[in-house]
Amino acid sequence: MLGELWSDLRYRCRALFHRGAVEAELDQELRFHLERETEKYVREGIPRDEAVRRARVAFGSVDVVKEESRDGRGLALLEHVGQDLRYALRSLRRSPAFTLGVTLTLAFGIGANAAMFGIVDRLLFRAPPLLRESDTVHRVYLNWTYRGDRSAEGTYQYTRYLDLRRLTHSFSDWAAFSNRTLPVGTGPDARELTVGTVSASFFDFFDTQPVLGRFFTAAEDSVPVGATVAVLGYGYWQTHLGGRTDVLGQPLMIGTTNYTIIGVAPREFQGLPDQSVPAVYIPITTYAGTFMNGRRVPGYYTTYNWGWLSAIARRRPGVTLEQANADLSQAFTASWTQEVALDPRTPSLASARPAAVAAPVQSERGPRQGKVSRVATWIWGVAAVVLLVACANVANLLLARALFRRRETALRLALGVSRARLAGQLLIESLVLAVLGGGAGLLLAQWGGAVLGRLFLPEYQAGVTLADGRTLLCVLLAVLTAGCLIGLAPVLQSRRADLAEDLKAGSRKAGHRRSRMRTALLLLQATLSVVLLIGAGLFVRSLAEVRGLRLGYDVDPVLYIQLNTRGGGLDQAGQIQFRRTMLETARTLPGVTSAALGITVPFWDTWGDDLFVPGIDSVDRLGNFTLQAGTPEYFKTIGTRILRGRGFTAEDRAQAPRVMVVSEAMAATLWPGENPLGKCVRVGADTMPCSTVVGVAENIRQRSLREDPGLNYYMPLEQYHPDAAALFLRVAGEADKVKESLRRQLQPLMPGDGYVLVNSMRDIVGPQVRSWELGATMFLIFGALALVLAAIGLYSVIAYDVAQRTRELGIRIALGAATEDVVGLVTRDGLRFVLTGAVLGGAIALGAGRWIAPLLYAVTPGDPLVYGVVAGVLLLVAAIASLVPAWRATRVNPSLTLRSE
Amino acid sequence: MTDDRLELPQGTLDLLILKTLSLGPQHGWAISERLHQVSRATLQVPQGSLYPALHRLERRGWISARWDASDNNRRAKYYELTRAGQAQLRAETRDWRKLTAAVDLVLGME
Repeated sequence: MLGELWSDLRYRCRALFHRGAVEAELDQELRFHLERETEKYVREGIPRDEAVRRARVAFGSVDVVKEESRDGRGLALLEHVGQDLRYALRSLRRSPAFTLGVTLTLAFGIGANAAMFGIVDRLLFRAPPLLRESDTVHRVYLNWTYRGDRSAEGTYQYTRYLDLRRLTHSFSDWAAFSNRTLPVGTGPDARELTVGTVSASFFDFFDTQPVLGRFFTAAEDSVPVGATVAVLGYGYWQTHLGGRTDVLGQPLMIGTTNYTIIGVAPREFQGLPDQSVPAVYIPITTYAGTFMNGRRVPGYYTTYNWGWLSAIARRRPGVTLEQANADLSQAFTASWTQEVALDPRTPSLASARPAAVAAPVQSERGPRQGKVSRVATWIWGVAAVVLLVACANVANLLLARALFRRRETALRLALGVSRARLAGQLLIESLVLAVLGGGAGLLLAQWGGAVLGRLFLPEYQAGVTLADGRTLLCVLLAVLTAGCLIGLAPVLQSRRADLAEDLKAGSRKAGHRRSRMRTALLLLQATLSVVLLIGAGLFVRSLAEVRGLRLGYDVDPVLYIQLNTRGGGLDQAGQIQFRRTMLETARTLPGVTSAALGITVPFWDTWGDDLFVPGIDSVDRLGNFTLQAGTPEYFKTIGTRILRGRGFTAEDRAQAPRVMVVSEAMAATLWPGENPLGKCVRVGADTMPCSTVVGVAENIRQRSLREDPGLNYYMPLEQYHPDAAALFLRVAGEADKVKESLRRQLQPLMPGDGYVLVNSMRDIVGPQVRSWELGATMFLIFGALALVLAAIGLYSVIAYDVAQRTRELGIRIALGAATEDVVGLVTRDGLRFVLTGAVLGGAIALGAGRWIAPLLYAVTPGDPLVYGVVAGVLLLVAAIASLVPAWRATRVNPSLTLRSE
Repeated sequence: MTDDRLELPQGTLDLLILKTLSLGPQHGWAISERLHQVSRATLQVPQGSLYPALHRLERRGWISARWDASDNNRRAKYYELTRAGQAQLRAETRDWRKLTAAVDLVLGME
């Protein structure tokens, strides 16, 4: 068998590369045969001329034999492809406008797919770089039920990590990690950067060696406090330390601790970059052991108070996922039992029902998938639909072209070109077009990918690049699919060609006949465009709803400024004094209209404390109440309205009677139907003095834009937690514009190694809105693209019809048809298509709506406004696309057309 | 033309060529002559169809070709059976016998 293959290959190669010699040999061989045959007849006494004739007859057609011999050599296919390729290139070069149009159309479709693939691949499919055998590496999630809520938690305690590692046997390696945002460097150079706090075993999961120095060892990562050693990320080493080789042994301030640089990770190494690539890596126990300004979090490795890290584990060979999950769950259960023994307030095993899951290592593929990646996946699907519309468009153009070339095709058929050959040639032309489109699409993807990358993956350093093999593969796939799809229609059509008819009439037929396939393609385009436009409409409305949503505070004019003193040697009184000073200074800065201190900010952190209300058994059971402590101008600064009673005043000091402001929702929950003003709430313990409710504030959204119970209350800063607070500033105009100037003015006021971190509320709320912004933007772009393509398709079909019907229209006009009759005749058809498409598309959108509903905001998938607007837009575009050719139809000069035949 | 001549069933031409060549190297015309004679002119092999078959067999490595002087001192392309070709001939002969025997049995049914 192998020998046969080898012989086959050798033979074909010779046939291919020594074609001249092989052909000459064939000639010689056949000539020899004919001569011998002739001689045979001559010897039988037949005259030479007659002998030659008989030999020829006995042999059959020499050309056919040659052709068949070539087929026997297995070369015909290749030769045909070569010929067809040349033919296709020649005919495409002859019609540059057509070629350009098709290339651009396909480029949009393919480019959109390549760019979106790049995004989705990074979000969902691609394993972190250098990770060894990523299929067997799992991120561990924990499930338990708390107050009726069951969710998969991706972060847990160091103690839990130790338990899971100790109590399971399905995994060969474990590593804990947590990407923290910490100040790196000293003084004005200090920047908040992502720091990978990882266990020493973390590096063993990767195929990597440091480019300089070494990674840290298990001995340097041990409880209670690991060694103060740091491994630099390649990017940080290059940008902040100039890639110098003498950095080893140098000090580096991270958070409040001084570390020694012991190594540099290679360029490709990114750890597990869930959001952003870490700038530097430190032992996880060193971080945990020095977390609180150099003080240790008490018992972080023996208690279950502080859940902050994630873990990955490598499944042993031969262990199935089910076994691994069962193993993890029993370990988690055992660990939970220990927690219950340690802290009796822990929910019981029976109510918590702990279970654990080994999920893929990519966080977006785990149970806590973010909205952005879900939207991205949808938009990738949308890009595929755009490609489909583009293909339908091109197929339609090719069909039109095939009709115009009918006479040429008929001629070739008459000359004996087989239909299979003809189909092959059409297919090759389609593939050539697809390749052209793919090339242009790559350029578009290169440019558009960078834009999309910034939209979808703002935290990633690397954008989507051409050099990426996976993206290229995706483009190749798109090109092949597109080539086959657009080739299909003309090939099918060519099988039905009526030879004699076409030869006679050519492209100029008096009768009017529209191919069913063109109608179907047009309908497909209209339908798909409608679906995309409806999607766009739903996202745009969601975004408008989200943007118009009253959050319970103002976003645009407010800044949130963290004052990190890094310890700075300040005691509690010093901290209070320092913050007071900063507040007074900030108030006087130009542009600042009001300033306040507060201990939490929506979406970034929440604070809670035990609540005791006279007459209510367990406040806890009524919901999760969150607490903000602020200075008197807090409400004015952030823009939260006081609905009843009052806010805080300068009189609400530490020694003054304790007061409280509650949200509307909290008042309604605790005292339904009653006046909340004057009620008593004890905070922290039931022995604490009453805090009297003096005001009711509007509800705020601080955890989710979608559903937020809004159960929160406010205390005067001086009466609750006066030494830890951040600065809120309200400025005239947009906060984003003055961010940097305010940072420059405030930074010099910080003591020691301290620094300020300035964020606008827009920075904080923005990511919450991002998925809707992305959905709206991308659906709109792609939907518009599809619509334009469909409009071009409609236009071309109707224009073609008009050209076909020139004669008929000429006769009508000659017989006295009015302009509006002709216009109506031509546009009616186009509108009928579009109406059918709108109905079909609407039905599909309604059906698909329930899948997209979770990604929308305050809009139902069947929103009538969206459907109405889309239908209107579609009709308008269809009217324009068919009015232009219709107008041209009225210009038909009857005498000229009729004479030209 | 008498109609005692038979069209070759599909695929049997290869077998006949292999068999003919098993008697020794031959050029194309001689093979065609030999087929004609041995079958007592019953088998109708269009001479032209021989060559695509020869090229196909050569590609599969069952026969090999070389140029040599023919009897009247002209250069002719001689084909001969390779080792793989001999095996193929044995296999195809066996299959053919089985097939014809089976067909005979069926036709012999009364």
